[in-house]
Amino acid sequence: MANTRSLSNATALRDENVLRRVRHLGSARDGLQEWRLQRRTALALIPLGLYFVASMLRLATSDQMTAAAWLASPVPALLTILFVLALLAHAVVGMRSVLVDYVHTRARLVAAELLVRGAAVVLAGASVLAVLKLFLGR
Amino acid sequence: MERPLSPFMFPAWYRFQITSVLSILHRLTGIALTVGSILLAWWLVAVAAGGEVFASTHAFIASPIGVLLLFGWSIAFFYHLCSGIRHLAWDAGYGFEIRDAYRSGYAVLAATVVLTVLAWLYVLLA
Repeated sequence: MANTRSLSNATALRDENVLRRVRHLGSARDGLQEWRLQRRTALALIPLGLYFVASMLRLATSDQMTAAAWLASPVPALLTILFVLALLAHAVVGMRSVLVDYVHTRARLVAAELLVRGAAVVLAGASVLAVLKLFLGR
Repeated sequence: MERPLSPFMFPAWYRFQITSVLSILHRLTGIALTVGSILLAWWLVAVAAGGEVFASTHAFIASPIGVLLLFGWSIAFFYHLCSGIRHLAWDAGYGFEIRDAYRSGYAVLAATVVLTVLAWLYVLLA
């Protein structure tokens, strides 16, 4: 019986700690928005990802001219830009949920999130610029 | 109070099942694909830049390390795609019974292998 008591005490202690932690940090407030964004980008990435990977398989053994000509045509250019943007938005939300689970120091969490977001913005900008250059310059 | 937290439970106390392994794999492949997006952006920039940049990028992709990365990326992509569809089905409220979860789990693994093999057969035979 002593064992049961200590177990319930431990549970009570844990619950109290969790509550304190919740009160301290408060809610993230935009959790539902992120949840929706993750699902919406996931849905978009099913056709976009399959289209892009199928295109890459066709281009796998081709030279720069063929790849550039493909990216310069309207539909591939549009779908590639949409694919990259959906992919990076999905990646940012996904990486955030991983970081929140494993980075327990507030400062480190903020730093890691900024790094991921910054990298995603740079990659998105570079990709869109690259496709636009080919599309507009044909 | 110092109690073992979840990652340290694995070797001694935690018995692996396909459901938990697939869940962990979904995260790992997600992280791998995030890292892979650097290569994707790099390739797009290289195509736009052309010339020397594209030549060195192409040489890297065609090297043994490059092909190995692409192979890993393709497995991660097909796994995350199939597993993601399984997650979306759960979000819609389907497949929560243990038996269904196991079945869909094995289906995800089978689909990953089939799609990866088909993709690379296409590349090798083209």
